[in-house]
Amino acid sequence: MLKYILKRLLAGVLTMVVLITVAFFMMHAMPGGPFSPSEEKNVPPEILQRIAASYGLDQPVWKQYLTYWNNLLHGDLGISYKTVGTVKEKITGHFPYSARLGALAVVFSLLIGIPMGLIAALHRGKAADLATLALATIGISVPVFVLSLLLSYLFSAKLNWLPTYGLDSWACYVLPVVCLSFNPIAYIARQTRSSMLEALEQDYIRTARAKGVSELMVVAKHALKNALTPIITYLGPLVAGLLTGSFIVESRFAIPGLGYYFVRSISDRDYTMIMGIVIFFGLFVVICNLVSDILLAIVDPRVKLANE
Amino acid sequence: MDTRILDNDAYASLPREMFVIGADDSHAEDIPRPSTTYWHDVWQRFRRDRLAVAGMVVIVLMTVLCIVMPMVSPYTYDASDYMNMNAGPSLQHPCGTDQLGRDQFIRIMYGARISLTIGFVAAAINFAIGVVYGGLAGYLSGRVDMLLMRIVDILSSLPSLLYIVLIMLIFGSNMGSVILALCFTSWIGTARVVRSEVMHLKHSEYVLASRLAGASTWHLLIHHLIPNAMGPIIVSTAFLIPGAIFSEAFLSFLGIGIQAPKASWGSLANAAIPVMQMYPHLMLFPVIAICITMFSFNFIGDGLRDALDPRLKK
Amino acid sequence: MSLLEVKNLNTSFQIGVGTVRAVRGVSFHVDEGESVGIVGESGSGKSVTMLSVTGLLPDYANISADSILFDGREITRLNQKALRALHGSEIGMIFQDPMTSLNPLFTVESQLTEPLKNHLHMDKRSARARTLELLRQVEIPNPEARLKQYPHELSGGLRQRVMIAIAIACEPKMIVADEPTTALDVTIQAQILDLLQNLKRESRASIIMITHDMGVIASMCSRILVMYGGIICEQGDVREIFYGARHPYTWGLLNSIPKVQQKRGEKLIPIKGTPPDMLQPPAGCPFSPRCRYCMPVCRAYMPPVTALSDTHSVSCHLLHPNAPKIEREV
Repeated sequence: MLKYILKRLLAGVLTMVVLITVAFFMMHAMPGGPFSPSEEKNVPPEILQRIAASYGLDQPVWKQYLTYWNNLLHGDLGISYKTVGTVKEKITGHFPYSARLGALAVVFSLLIGIPMGLIAALHRGKAADLATLALATIGISVPVFVLSLLLSYLFSAKLNWLPTYGLDSWACYVLPVVCLSFNPIAYIARQTRSSMLEALEQDYIRTARAKGVSELMVVAKHALKNALTPIITYLGPLVAGLLTGSFIVESRFAIPGLGYYFVRSISDRDYTMIMGIVIFFGLFVVICNLVSDILLAIVDPRVKLANE
Repeated sequence: MDTRILDNDAYASLPREMFVIGADDSHAEDIPRPSTTYWHDVWQRFRRDRLAVAGMVVIVLMTVLCIVMPMVSPYTYDASDYMNMNAGPSLQHPCGTDQLGRDQFIRIMYGARISLTIGFVAAAINFAIGVVYGGLAGYLSGRVDMLLMRIVDILSSLPSLLYIVLIMLIFGSNMGSVILALCFTSWIGTARVVRSEVMHLKHSEYVLASRLAGASTWHLLIHHLIPNAMGPIIVSTAFLIPGAIFSEAFLSFLGIGIQAPKASWGSLANAAIPVMQMYPHLMLFPVIAICITMFSFNFIGDGLRDALDPRLKK
Repeated sequence: MSLLEVKNLNTSFQIGVGTVRAVRGVSFHVDEGESVGIVGESGSGKSVTMLSVTGLLPDYANISADSILFDGREITRLNQKALRALHGSEIGMIFQDPMTSLNPLFTVESQLTEPLKNHLHMDKRSARARTLELLRQVEIPNPEARLKQYPHELSGGLRQRVMIAIAIACEPKMIVADEPTTALDVTIQAQILDLLQNLKRESRASIIMITHDMGVIASMCSRILVMYGGIICEQGDVREIFYGARHPYTWGLLNSIPKVQQKRGEKLIPIKGTPPDMLQPPAGCPFSPRCRYCMPVCRAYMPPVTALSDTHSVSCHLLHPNAPKIEREV
């Protein structure tokens, strides 16, 4: 197990190195820089040049790259070019908003998606199953931006039941969390349903029945544990995706989260901010995937073997 | 046919002619039911799936409409009618007009052209890359596979928004760069499916038999591996189309995809946000178009999956 | 006294293109302590018969029977709960493929103690003691180490031994072994058969052995049911079947057993043709399309059951007084 984790960690470090390199050079390939005349029309070009030089932006790109690595290894993500404060402060300031919403959405998705899929599988072809399939298809087919528009139009503009912006009270969380978890619920319900149906057909389920195991335990113990392994694999990307924030949801509901600031810093050409958030996202994805892989290896003893 | 059973008396009085061996030609090697080919079966199963067929009809209809309508319509996507701004749905303008008095229906039809083109082109490119990449990884296995899959792992841990937005900014906001951005990593799913199918098939007995018979690698790949792995590949490609359409709508909605005066469903929806309260129809129709298309493609994908792998249909 | 008595069992499955009539009017009995073999090729309905009797078929199967009497209880009238109380405690099952019959996510111990905890309400310690005893009984070396292992860490033979241990855990009255050796290597097959024979000697349980291998039956069973196309075409004790079979299908089965004294150049005689399509079973005898003695009556009517002795009965039109007298060709 330890060897497995170490191996995965090493792969994670490698991923991060490549990620930082690719992101750095892609970013510098963007036309225009943070202090190019086309961006800041009110400032004389000489002053812009001087500002750029003070940030080291007049250096060749490879030199900037090395400097960036040097700072990074000293734990320094730099200061934001376009807003006040260091990148680290910005990330730690905005991440909690995204994380709180995301964590709620993850819990919500699992608590609704898994039972939905389970009930559908156990009532194959009946009303509950068809309803789940219909809802799951809607969840997969309706884009988040459409959903967030429709929900905010209906519940805020028309019915005036829920607020559309901020995170001041519990009511503010309802719409963003529903929007964030709508698609995952659909995915989880579908996946749970189909893997549950597959698990129930396996020979070992017949063995369990032949042992006189109660129907509840056949489903809850023997089938469900097998059916949940694909969900565990999905958990890594899900947690990573939801906790790092969604631009659509955060901008629609005016939430000062990381997803929103990420897109803003890209359009601002705020190099250090972009790099900081990319590194943070990348690290988050790597860690989430590692955790879900370890979880999977604990649940399914065959996984370790396949990877060694 | 039902089994026929006689009572005792009737049985005892059966005539001698009934008991002559070989009086009836033996049909020992008869095949009781006509056997059908795999693809015939697939088509039969697909045809029975009403939702999938409905989805197919909608997509065909939409394709025809979005090709024909702009040719026959008196309106164009960028011609303004200043006497008729923000008009509600009417006979002249079935979906109303926008803030500049442009016919919303024609703009939605142009949006359909963009969405469908992007959906099909992106899916085709992703399919090609995915099959080649996954096929190579699965077939060569060992070190090469290890390297190729590491690359895929790294690519898939990049935040998709980052490279999509960067590509859009580097290459400009047009259809080509949308497709390029979408093809950057969308093939990974297909590649993984192809790889695992090829790995699985490579160790199956019939491929071994073919190899023992002296078949070349190419022959194996073309005649055995790819056709047998086709089912899961088609399914994963079918789901790529709605994914690509969704991403384009998303990008245009963000304002970095298709640019005005060209219209895409996403940019139409985005443009309608500020006036959503006053002119809900401007939001409604593009959103309906997106949802119908997404539904149709998802139904087709589901139908294909069930038809190609009947074991999964429950 | 019979432990199990089945009368007129019919099982069918509704599938997309029609109804598969897997078992058509099967009646038989199994005495206490007796071992009975059910032979027949794939698709003859032998497994479905026993799964129907034990109530282990999925709920989309239609099962009907005049009566299924097990140990004095009418199984057709038992509810799910009462049926479950029989499974694993009074009826033990061994399945064909040990690779897929054990749950991959649970340890050997967890799967083995389940019936002990469910039916005998053992606590953890006594369950473990019994588990070790069982593993020794099925001749698994080093049982302490095996308890903590998962199925994928065991070989096929060992897994089948674990399956057998699960089946005998609660000392059942009846053990149903559904092709217990089919999925195993030949050398392992012999070991598992030895083990089953030892168990048979040591326990008082009735054993029902489902197989397509006449050799296995000869070494294990005292009575044989021959199934074809969802019906029992011939049944009798081992002597009657091996030396006095009257059904052409039984002859075919016997002729396809390899003999030790097989002469050089002498070939095994296969049965020509393929098993019937149970979606559209023939109106008459199911074997008629493949039978070399097929007569017009065979295609027209299902043959009635003719009793030849207390134990021996045959369903074949060749036993009709008007039919030609045919002897088995060897």
